[in-house]
Amino acid sequence: MSQAYRESLWLFTVTQTLHLVAVSVFIGGILIVDLRLVGRRAVGESHAAIARSAQRVLFWAGPAVLITGIPQFTSNALRYYASPVFALKMSVLAMALLFTATLRRRVVTADNDRLPAWVPRAVGTVSLVLWMSVAIAGRWIGFSE
Amino acid sequence: MPSILPALEWLEALAWATAIRESNWGYPIMETAHVASIVAFAGVVMVMDLRLVGLAFAQTPLTRIQRPLFPWQMAGFALSGVTGLLLFVVDPLRYYGNVFFRVKLVLLALAGFNALGFHLTIFRKVGRWDEDPLAPTTARLAGAVSLLFWSAIIVSGRLIASNWFN
Repeated sequence: MSQAYRESLWLFTVTQTLHLVAVSVFIGGILIVDLRLVGRRAVGESHAAIARSAQRVLFWAGPAVLITGIPQFTSNALRYYASPVFALKMSVLAMALLFTATLRRRVVTADNDRLPAWVPRAVGTVSLVLWMSVAIAGRWIGFSE
Repeated sequence: MPSILPALEWLEALAWATAIRESNWGYPIMETAHVASIVAFAGVVMVMDLRLVGLAFAQTPLTRIQRPLFPWQMAGFALSGVTGLLLFVVDPLRYYGNVFFRVKLVLLALAGFNALGFHLTIFRKVGRWDEDPLAPTTARLAGAVSLLFWSAIIVSGRLIASNWFN
């Protein structure tokens, strides 16, 4: 199956194309919250509501990213396995996921007024940098072979 | 109709364009910056569209989503525009005849008209429906069209490199 997929350049390109669209929506769901944390435009109720809604966007876009991402890997598993940029992408992805599920989650759901101003700012910046790094490393895989 | 090909050939022959085109790092850096800024830009546009369509952020007034995002949308668009223009300028003949490049330009224009039309009409009266979980039909339509156009722009952008129909 992997072989048939690998030999069909057409299928690979289509998967990668859909991956990009899913990634964009996912990044949108991340950024809409991060930019608020950084810009401190958030106020009270609307902030929590936006974070909750953004979580639902991630809940749908995340699987779409995986479903379109995994076949790209399995079809060329050995090549990706040997690629240092792919390893980098997966490492940064692991960090981004961990950070989002722990520290960022705490700050996003926290009562804004009780946190020192620099905390949401720092958490938003770190999250933004981590997730954009995943996207940048992802594009760079194609240049590193 | 005079062809723009001579102008493109002139562009391509420029010393600095040639230098960037033939350098090892020029294309990967510009292309990566272009893709990263489009993903970020399209992302923050499409989450706003999801609110318009009624698929997400229904509890939040539209302007609470739109206003803080707007400067970032403009910044993302500017960055992807500059990197896109640079990619084209250093290698114009590669893109000029590419069908997906042309499709992408048309889609960009259409997405622009859609956004402009939205801002000049229904968005002017946003005060009347800002808090409604479900926006008026025209606004929902503009959101759906925008989602469609930006997805198609990402798709056609990726397909420029696919060498189909070339």
